[in-house]
Amino acid sequence: MNDVWQSDWSLMTPEWIVLAVAVVLLLIDVAMPDERSRRPLAWGAALGAVLALGATAALIPAEPASILHGTFRLDSFAKAFKLLLLAGGALALLIVAGWNPKEGSRYGGEFAYLLLFALLGAMMTASSGDLLTLFVSVELLTVSSYILAGLRKTVAASNEAALKYVINGGIATAVMLFGMSYVFGLTGTTNLNEIARRLQETNEPYMLALAFLLLLIGVSFKLAAVPFHMWAPDVYEGAPVPATAFFAVVSKTAGFVLLLRLLVTMFAAAPAEGRDPSSLLLSMQPAIAVLAGLTMIIGSVVALRQRSLKRLLAYSSIAHAGYLLAGFAAMSWAMIDSLWIYLLAYLLMNMGAFAIVSHIVDETGSDDWDGLTGLYRHRPLLAAALGLFLLSLAGIPGTAGFIAKLHLFIGLVVTEPGHYVLAAVMAITTVISYVYYFNLIVQLFFRPLFSSAPLGRMSAGLSAAVVLCALGTLALGWAPGLAYNVLAQFDHFGDFLP
Amino acid sequence: MNLAWVVPLFPLCSFVLLLWFGRKWKQTSAYVGIAATLLSLLAAFGVLVSRLGGATYEANWTWMKIGDATLTVGVSVTALNAWMLVVVALVSWLVHIYSQGYMAGDERFSTFYAYLGLFTFAMLGLVLSPNLLQAYMFWELVGLGSFLLIGFYFYKEEAKAAAKKAFIMTRIGDVGFLIGVLLLFWQTKSFDYDDIFRAVGNGTLSPGMTTLTAILIFIGAIGKSGQFPLHTWLPDAMEGPTPVSALIHAATMVAAGVYLVAALFPLYEASAAAMMTVAVIGGGTAVFAATIGLVQTDIKRVLAYSTISQLGYMMLALGSGSYVAAIFHLTTHAFFKALLFLAAGSVIHAVHTQNIEEMGGLWRRLPWTAPLFLVGALSISGVPLFAGFFSKDEILAAAWTNGSVGLFWLAVAAALLTSFYMFRLFFLVFAGEARHRHDGAVHEAPMSMTAPMVVLGVLSVAAGYIQTPWFGSFLGEWLTDGAYHHEAAPGWIAVVAASVSLAGILLAWLMYGKRTVPRDWLSARAPYGYELLRRHYYMDDLYRSTVVALVSSISRLLGYVDRYLVEGLVQFVTGTVNAIAAAGSRGQNGQAQTYGLVAAAGLAMLVVIFALTGGDWL
Repeated sequence: MNDVWQSDWSLMTPEWIVLAVAVVLLLIDVAMPDERSRRPLAWGAALGAVLALGATAALIPAEPASILHGTFRLDSFAKAFKLLLLAGGALALLIVAGWNPKEGSRYGGEFAYLLLFALLGAMMTASSGDLLTLFVSVELLTVSSYILAGLRKTVAASNEAALKYVINGGIATAVMLFGMSYVFGLTGTTNLNEIARRLQETNEPYMLALAFLLLLIGVSFKLAAVPFHMWAPDVYEGAPVPATAFFAVVSKTAGFVLLLRLLVTMFAAAPAEGRDPSSLLLSMQPAIAVLAGLTMIIGSVVALRQRSLKRLLAYSSIAHAGYLLAGFAAMSWAMIDSLWIYLLAYLLMNMGAFAIVSHIVDETGSDDWDGLTGLYRHRPLLAAALGLFLLSLAGIPGTAGFIAKLHLFIGLVVTEPGHYVLAAVMAITTVISYVYYFNLIVQLFFRPLFSSAPLGRMSAGLSAAVVLCALGTLALGWAPGLAYNVLAQFDHFGDFLP
Repeated sequence: MNLAWVVPLFPLCSFVLLLWFGRKWKQTSAYVGIAATLLSLLAAFGVLVSRLGGATYEANWTWMKIGDATLTVGVSVTALNAWMLVVVALVSWLVHIYSQGYMAGDERFSTFYAYLGLFTFAMLGLVLSPNLLQAYMFWELVGLGSFLLIGFYFYKEEAKAAAKKAFIMTRIGDVGFLIGVLLLFWQTKSFDYDDIFRAVGNGTLSPGMTTLTAILIFIGAIGKSGQFPLHTWLPDAMEGPTPVSALIHAATMVAAGVYLVAALFPLYEASAAAMMTVAVIGGGTAVFAATIGLVQTDIKRVLAYSTISQLGYMMLALGSGSYVAAIFHLTTHAFFKALLFLAAGSVIHAVHTQNIEEMGGLWRRLPWTAPLFLVGALSISGVPLFAGFFSKDEILAAAWTNGSVGLFWLAVAAALLTSFYMFRLFFLVFAGEARHRHDGAVHEAPMSMTAPMVVLGVLSVAAGYIQTPWFGSFLGEWLTDGAYHHEAAPGWIAVVAASVSLAGILLAWLMYGKRTVPRDWLSARAPYGYELLRRHYYMDDLYRSTVVALVSSISRLLGYVDRYLVEGLVQFVTGTVNAIAAAGSRGQNGQAQTYGLVAAAGLAMLVVIFALTGGDWL
């Protein structure tokens, strides 16, 4: 017990900050009179996330270490992805601060601290070195998310979204746990590095493959990838927009963190049938590639028929999960780097788009794309910003989305053997996605004004989120070196595998 | 020359300034745009002059590192792109001036100039790119500028549809381009033109791969240059303002495909199959588009099909191995086609219709426009002593000396058709009596519009003399650094070209000027053939009923699978009792159990496939 107390707790500073701010906000929210605005709480939560971001940045030079009997690891992977998670969380909280639904934001306080708890779960996922902590962290994120989805208690769609989320999440959790139980049964330990070491000595390729597939399908729920993608449009549509933004960005990033931590650590060196060098992970490439291909196709093709902005962004986020999975399937040596870059670009363009959609939904009470029609006529800057995010989502040069997609493309073609089919599917689905992104751009710029009532002013939180995301999208598009400088500190995640 | 990178920056500044202050400056915006492109033009001249005495210049900066591959950005000044810089900047400047008169009074006047600036920036950037990745980025940006400008009259449904069509059609070509570029990168580990040429030279790039990448990149050029079968967007793009049609859809952007193939010429030369593809597509398109041009009744659409046909000519020249002839024709075409479009714009400005059936008798009413249009028409028809004659002759000679007799006669046929439809247009618009009463007085355009046309008119004649069989081949020597030698083509080719062009004019005069041959000669004798031409060989209908229908039916099908098919499975499992209830809840009650079932089915399928294949997936 002693060594628990002697652990270097400072490695957990970012987590402590998030936890402390969340608890304090919870107490304030309870003590506050009902009629007071909860907006300051959201700002406080955003500040907390920014502080934790700073603390994580300060920890970057620290040597990789693990504490608490190897259950908490702070390696370069954890640091890099915590930066993304915290940045995404902070932007989502800015959107919460600007959230103004028509039934009133009475639950703004709950929104702020629940989102922080979810964020804490995501951060712990990135740092987990043990199946148990990994599972508990993911559940902290997921369970908080269920409540966030149903936070508009008087709106039926929101309740429905929460219920669907719980049911599907429950199934996914069961599948994942089932997979974990196989791994535990084969190795008798829950420590990830220890599992990886012991798996090399086992000779159960089929049992392991089954475990791998169960885990992959379980994780695909968090990614909103095929075959666990169908909940996403319904939940994204029903949940409050800031929560949707959080699910689409932070939750998905956490899903990829989980994917890498769990599958890569455990299975990279595990034995496989007839492979040299033997690697179960590499032998599973075709399965991942098939899921990636299907995800890209379904995400981009079904989106063609959507008119709801939230559903559209939901399908778009499915398509992006497909691109990311394709990057994962390539398993090039720079795989983690390119996924990081992509998730960074994805964070910037999606958070920006969701901030604007949140404003439009609050103002017009609907998320039909009519709300965008002719926006350029009276809010040119807002329309230009949304246009920029859409161009970036489509992957047009000069934006972050292009740079990110370029990395994935290069990853797909430079590996031996190259993944041409996936690269081709990616190119084709990208073109299909132009159709709906450009449909929106046409709505924005080329149409006369639809509604006579102009939109109201944007709140400070939303404006801040939009400006930050727009600057980031442009900066990453024209000077990607900025991101490489950050990435260079992690030295290609050499300490990721034991 | 080391200041070449400033050339594209002026229009970019104009774009940014006008985007910010355009609403305040209103009509003054034109002067900002004109000044910026003038500076670009002067700088481009400076680059050209310094390249005259100097050698090829290239500067690169590291942009990013991915693994051991370093991606660079930079500028290069070769003979080819120094020349292109001047052509692009010159036409752009003239169009900027012209637009001041043409667009006067439009409430989005400054936005128009901002977009023009963006486009000019992208086009100049494309020309200066020393590597394929950078070229690809500007290539896309050029497409974006074109999209914005075609859709400029966004309140017209057709304009919106045309903008979208143009963007998506060219994107189809761009996929080929991108895949080709990535394959080249994979093979040579570089995007740089020079590295790629070196790899082609020393055999690092296998012959099969050379052909494959060359053809893939050519697909990009097909999309951008409106070659068969991706040409259908270009006639629709005429919904944009006329100066835009002159700048983008005649002189510069559509020529980018030709430029790309020219810039990668060593790659193409290494593969006979790729050269053949380029030549056949080019020659075929030249005749194909010319026949459609015969029966169009919209003045701009006739010119659009003519552009497609002339671009086909340039591709034919490239495919026949004559790089110089292609660039020569690109240059003369940029001038005379821009002139024809600007003159057409002036006609439209005067009579407010684009239908040539409603024009006629404008010769005396438009004392500047009419003779200038005539100069353009004579030049494109290849009448001796005009610029088009020399460049077309050069292409015909190239096709002949290359030994492709079939393509040669195809090009001759296209030349005949060209002079016929151009003069059909001329006689219908300017000769005879007015067939329609126009509201208000028909008046000549203001100075700002006629002056650029006069400059282009002079160039439509003079540009031919940079490369003639008589005075020497300045352009050829310049483009090949002195290694050019004029292939002695048989003298009769020039005679054939000249007589064919005069025959076309004569025929047009008989039918539409003097009317000894009845106008419905063709439509009466071959009504189906006539209808076939009038409907552009049903290409649009074909696409609508195949590709577009296919994509939307896949989309519908998948949506259907999502909602109905899987749900049907659930109904089967839970029995027919639930069937009625489920049928009622198809809409918004998106079933959570369905979602779970899909996940379970997905898992089961993966496991079953794994079990059946025994871990050996593929």
